[in-house]
Formats: sequence, structure tokens, C-alpha cells
Amino acid sequence: MDTRAQSISLWITPFFGVILLLCFTAFPGFWPPIPPDMTAEQVAAFYDENRAMVRFSMITFNLCAIMLVPFFMVVVVQIKRTASHVLAYSYLAAIATGATLFAIADIFWLVAAFRPERDPELVLLLNDLAWMIFVAPVGMLVVQNLCLALAILLDDRAKPVFPRWVAYFSIATAVAMTPAVCAVAVTSGPLAWDGAISFWLRFSAFGLNIVVLFVVLLGVVRRQRDEQTATEASSSSAQPEPVS
Amino acid sequence: MSSIVAPPPTAQAERTHPRRHNLDQLICWWTIPIFYNIFGLIFVVLTRVMPPPRPDVGPQEIVAFFAQHGLTIKIGFALLMFFVGFTAVANGLIAHQIKRMSVAPVLAYGYITALAVGAIPGCLFAAFAFLAAALRPDRDPQHIALLYDLGLLSFVGSLGCFVAQNFVLAMAIFLDKNEILPKWLAYMSIWMIVTELLAGPVFIFTSGPLAWNGSISFWLGTAVFVVWEFCIIKLLYTAITSQPPGERVQD
Repeated sequence: MDTRAQSISLWITPFFGVILLLCFTAFPGFWPPIPPDMTAEQVAAFYDENRAMVRFSMITFNLCAIMLVPFFMVVVVQIKRTASHVLAYSYLAAIATGATLFAIADIFWLVAAFRPERDPELVLLLNDLAWMIFVAPVGMLVVQNLCLALAILLDDRAKPVFPRWVAYFSIATAVAMTPAVCAVAVTSGPLAWDGAISFWLRFSAFGLNIVVLFVVLLGVVRRQRDEQTATEASSSSAQPEPVS
Repeated sequence: MSSIVAPPPTAQAERTHPRRHNLDQLICWWTIPIFYNIFGLIFVVLTRVMPPPRPDVGPQEIVAFFAQHGLTIKIGFALLMFFVGFTAVANGLIAHQIKRMSVAPVLAYGYITALAVGAIPGCLFAAFAFLAAALRPDRDPQHIALLYDLGLLSFVGSLGCFVAQNFVLAMAIFLDKNEILPKWLAYMSIWMIVTELLAGPVFIFTSGPLAWNGSISFWLGTAVFVVWEFCIIKLLYTAITSQPPGERVQD
């Protein structure tokens, strides 16, 4: 099988990754993250003052965030090579639901910014929904990392698909993201949706995970290509073809 | 067509330390009974979504509902934010068993997609609606009432995802010649589709047997679901443990 589709899916990731990082930097609501204890009037005033940048960053997020899906599908293909189909399908299912959650949160932010005259109570409600959906439902991300870790630990090929440390790194990512679930229950301190653990640790872990997996997958796909070239060379030497 | 063929002799030789047969599937299987118990704790005990509270109440009673159960709603749904991920594992496991059947992978991929979609309206969206209400009990009571309806109608009324899930599963079992899952499970899956059809009227009625807490729309559907879930957990275990070592599954 040709590995070009995997290579393209990998190499679009730094491009879209940089765009997403720019969006993250451009969204005024992340610097600092909008705290859960702001009043309806304060939240409405935030959208009034920052309407242009909210729209710019969230429309760009909307366009580009799901472009990470092909990257994660490379992981699915490689988990299948470790011989665990079930973990590959579980990973795929987790990505589909997780990506949808982000897409929904993005829409809530844009609706909150849509009509300046909207009742501040409703702007607050839209803002609450956007933040909770963006930060808290990490279960899918945790499970996808655990699936990858398990697939690596169970991979008993003589030449494993992934380096073994990637399993421990994935588990560490899952552990770092888990406390963010508290963002739906706690409204102040490090576990609130604007907190050091629920927001900064969770999104740093996610970003670092993508960077590290990108580098790892470059090697994984290169080794797959080399293995296939070697197999093809040995099979064509077994059946000599006429030299042209 | 049989998907069972003898393993190529070199395949075993390449393995450095052969792992226990189907260990990945057994680990995935064990998550299902564990997490269904946790889902029971979340939805029945903590968040009071099951059995559902009444649809025929006014904003004041709805505000009182969230005031009374706000804390457990937050705790329960915070747990769900983590444990919902394991639905993906159950989903992947059943899809993999469908791929062992003598049917095209269409049905396995259909199963994954139907449930990956269903996890949001059928589970998480309800949680976020309830959480938004519990987060600020001082919201306008009309807004709280809207969130109550949004939560319960999306939870009880997400029908089509589960119709599609049960349709592809039933079709796969009927067409399968490898006897991975018994035919009677396919008939049960058709009963699951019937219960989804019977839950359609929850969007119309606010009381009686067809309302979202009604004897037909909720209780009958839930009873069938619980029996179906017990059966499939048991049958999946049998399917995994009776899978011959080295069986080739279509890619």
C-alpha cells in the first residue's frame, strides 16, 4: 500500500496546527480565559468590545480545526498495523465524537457574538455552553490516548510499529487531561474552566500530544514505507522480470 | 465465503513474545459491564435523568428541581465527561465483531458512525443542558425551563442514531454465515427499533404513556434496552473467547 496519503495527512498538520495556534492566540476570551463568575452584563460587554476578534478567531477555528481529523486517522491506520482492529475502531469512534464537540462549542461562541442587542442573560447562557463543551468533555480524548497506549503495549511484532515510550506518553497525556472534567462542577480555582489545570494544563497537554505524535508518526510511516519497499524488492527478485 | 483461514506459519514466528489471544478485545469487553454500572449511577442516582422527571410542570417546579439536585447533577455529569469516552470502546468492539461476519464492512462502519453521532444528542447534549441550568440557578426561570426540555428531549428523543445502529446490527447478524452472534439477537435489535419508533411522540405529548416519562415511550424502551444490553454483553464475551487464534479478519 502506498504511504503517500498518510504522508499528506501528516504534513497538512503543521500547517493547520500553526493556524489553530494563531486562532488560540487571537481569541480574546483566552487571554485570560473568561472566568465562570462573570455577570451577564460583563459577559455581554466582553462580546461587545471584542466582537471582531471573536468572529475572526472562531470562524477560522471553525474552518480549520476539523482538518486535524486526517492526522488522527493516520494513527488509526497505524494501530491497525499493530494488529488490534478493535482499538483502531475505538480510536476512530472517539475522534468522531470528540471533533463534533469542538465544532459545537465553536458555534455557541459565534452565536453569542452574533446579535449585539441580545438579552445579556442569553449571551451568558451561550457563553456557558461554549465553555463547558470546549473544556470539560475530555473522555473521548482520554480514551483515544488509552487505546493508542494499549495497542502499543500489546504490539508483539518483532519490529513494533510505534516506539514503546509513546504508550507511556499517551497515558501521561490522558492523565493530564482528565481533571478538566471538573470544569462543569467547579467555578473557581485551578479546576474551573478558566483554571490552571482545567484550561492551561488540558490544552497544553493536547498541543504537546499533537506535536510529539506528529514527529513519531513521521518515523512510523517512513519505516512502513521502507518495509514495503524491502518486501517488494524481495518478491520481485524471486520472480525476475525482464530488464527493460 | 468463510473468513476463517489457517494462520500463515511465518506470522507466529515473527512474534517475539506471543501475547494472550485476543487480550485487546477482552480488555475492551471488561470496560462495558464496568461502565454501564457507572452510567447507571450517573443517570439514575446522581443526575435524576432516569427515570425522567415530569414534562407537565411549570418553570417554578423546574427551578426547584435544579435547586434540589444541582450538586448531584454537577458531580454526576462531571463523571460522565470522563466515562462517556468508553462508549467508543464498546462501539469499536461490536464493529470488530461485525467485521468477523460474512458481510461487507459497510455494516461495521455504519455501526461505528451511527453511535459516534448518537453519543452527542443521546447523551452529552442532555448533560450540557442540565449543567447549564445547574450552573446558575438564578437564571430566568423560562431559560431554565428551556434547558430542562432541551436536555430531556435530546436524551429520550434521540431516535434515529439508535434506529440506524440496530438496523445495521440486525442486518449483519441475519446475513452472517459465520454465526458470530445468534439470530435471536437480531430480533431483539428489531425490538429496539420498535421502541425508538414508540418514543417518537415524546416531542408531542407532555403527559400520558407517550410523554418522555411515559410507560410506553420511556419504561418499555428502557426495559427492552436493559435486556438487550445484558444479552449483548454476554454474547460478545462468547464471541471473543470462541474466536480461533490466528483467525484472519477482513481488513
